Amino acid sequence: MEKIRYSAIKGDSNGYLALLGALGVLSLGGFWAAWTMFTDGHSVTGMTNAVPWGFPIVVAIYLIGLSAGSLVISALSSVFGKKEFKVFSRIAALLAALLLVGALMAIILDWGRPERILVPFFSMNPRSMFSLNGMLYSAYIVICFVYLWAMFEEREKLVKALGLLAVFWAVLVHSGTGAIFGFVGARELLHSPLLPPSFIAAALSSGTALMIIVLHFSFKWAGRTLDEALLRQLGRYLMVFLIVVAYFIFIENVTRSYWPANYEAQKFLLLSGNKYSLIFWVGMVGCGVAFPFVILVNRFTGGSLKWILWASALVVGGVLAERYIIVIPAQVMPVEIFPGMKVVSDFQDGSVADYSISLVEAMFGAGIVSFVFLLYALALKFFELMPENVEESRER
Amino acid sequence: MTDMDRRGFVKAGLAVLAGSALGPGVTLFQAFAEDGRESSKTRWGMVIDTNKCSEKCTECVSACRTENNVPLFGEPKYDGHWIRKAAVTPDVEGAKSMSLPLLCNHCEHPPCQHVCPTAATFTRHDGIVMIDKHRCIGCRYCMIACPYKARTFVFKSTEEWPNKDVPKRSKGVVEKCHFCAHRLDKGQIPACVEACTKSGDGAMIFGNLKDPQSDISKYIRENAPRGLREDFGLKPKVLYKGV
Repeated sequence: MEKIRYSAIKGDSNGYLALLGALGVLSLGGFWAAWTMFTDGHSVTGMTNAVPWGFPIVVAIYLIGLSAGSLVISALSSVFGKKEFKVFSRIAALLAALLLVGALMAIILDWGRPERILVPFFSMNPRSMFSLNGMLYSAYIVICFVYLWAMFEEREKLVKALGLLAVFWAVLVHSGTGAIFGFVGARELLHSPLLPPSFIAAALSSGTALMIIVLHFSFKWAGRTLDEALLRQLGRYLMVFLIVVAYFIFIENVTRSYWPANYEAQKFLLLSGNKYSLIFWVGMVGCGVAFPFVILVNRFTGGSLKWILWASALVVGGVLAERYIIVIPAQVMPVEIFPGMKVVSDFQDGSVADYSISLVEAMFGAGIVSFVFLLYALALKFFELMPENVEESRER
Repeated sequence: MTDMDRRGFVKAGLAVLAGSALGPGVTLFQAFAEDGRESSKTRWGMVIDTNKCSEKCTECVSACRTENNVPLFGEPKYDGHWIRKAAVTPDVEGAKSMSLPLLCNHCEHPPCQHVCPTAATFTRHDGIVMIDKHRCIGCRYCMIACPYKARTFVFKSTEEWPNKDVPKRSKGVVEKCHFCAHRLDKGQIPACVEACTKSGDGAMIFGNLKDPQSDISKYIRENAPRGLREDFGLKPKVLYKGV
């Protein structure tokens, strides 16, 4: 069995520098947006007192999901015995860590007072899902980097143990993130024990889809060969994950729609034809599950790398829509202080609120994502992450 | 170092940390009264008799704005609301609408406090749910968790600070009604209750729920007012008669 040789990419091509430049500009735009939110207040965002959580939170939980999914791909060889995927382990583990760094940045920079970054460390509330998740996330980043270090050192036993710990931790992190929303009893569109597991399902689908795209283009642009059969295999995993995601979406919405108290909220979300139902059906259900599933299940398209890449792109976009649907509609719908009665007030009680992503928020989100990939691209240049001899190592 | 010393040290450290994040001239809010008025023998509560509260009257809202400098930015989506008037109408043909104030219900089991990652929201011994604005990081999870929409976020800076009895407003944190804790600690009643009694409809009764002889306790025994969304099990301490 030939050992896999890893090496850093050269990183001196014009294309690479252009990529760094583009990601750098978008990252700077994101930091400017965060600075503007800090100095001018959240009035520069689309958020209001009715919808206090906006696009930054959507991006944060989206990145957390992508991270957990990437980590599972990384652990395929060490934990799940799929040795042929070992060539991806380093890249996937690095991306898992960087995506979570991005998620934490999105959360913290979205605070009204991000300069109080140290307060949560000194003043914790173990009952708060946010507080618990802060600990889970921080530990997760550390675990990911130690896991990566063990891979660099090629300590196989340690890699296996840390991989197992990392997968377990990824499940914790994701259940915890789902719990931030699912544990809120005050909002009927949030309160659900299904949110933690369905967060994991969407993490697996979006994380796998992202890995397919990232791996393909990383190898292509670095001029290294990649065994397409591996990506096709990931495509088949993605198909299975999509079934699980679809199951959760179905069961959650059927359960809620069945009970008359939820008729209004469900009608608003599913049938009203507003932007939220559009994002639900076209974005979350269509792009996130249905279209890519059709592509992957079809014998012709499901075996074509080009189509698998398209399916993956749809999932990556669709899960962003899914995260939006978790965060936003639950706030837009009025809280029922007086069930069954009509309420009018100066504070928009009883009426449906509105939320649109502002330019600053869009720049914020794009900037954080770009920064993650900027770090990724730089890491490829400075560390031995990419395998040189994929074909040989697989043939053994 | 004794346990108390250590805690004091950590607290002092925190205060320095929080203080460094404040602007000059901003005083720390006195969360606990020094004279022992704030004690577990007290459980502040409020009853609102909606039969007395008329639609025209907004004395409680104005008094609160004056007392606590609650800002109006001219844009309803950013305006601060510690107390607001709402018109509530049963879904029955020709039903009469009720007028009533909505404010923080100072729940016995406050979900805002449960979710607060930094424990910036806490309950005083006298049951008032308060926010330590220097510990609040502005994550707004509490606003998601509150079923009464009692909390507002400071979306913009404001330099206006007419009533110097209360701390200066700080951008980027969440705030809400605290039953005018600073007045209670001086032996006064909340500004909204005072205004309602003096120049309003006299629809508010405020007092100590733990004192069986207090007006509020007597009223509750005789009239059985109810909390809003009691099905949530939060045990609100603002009760309504006639909803």
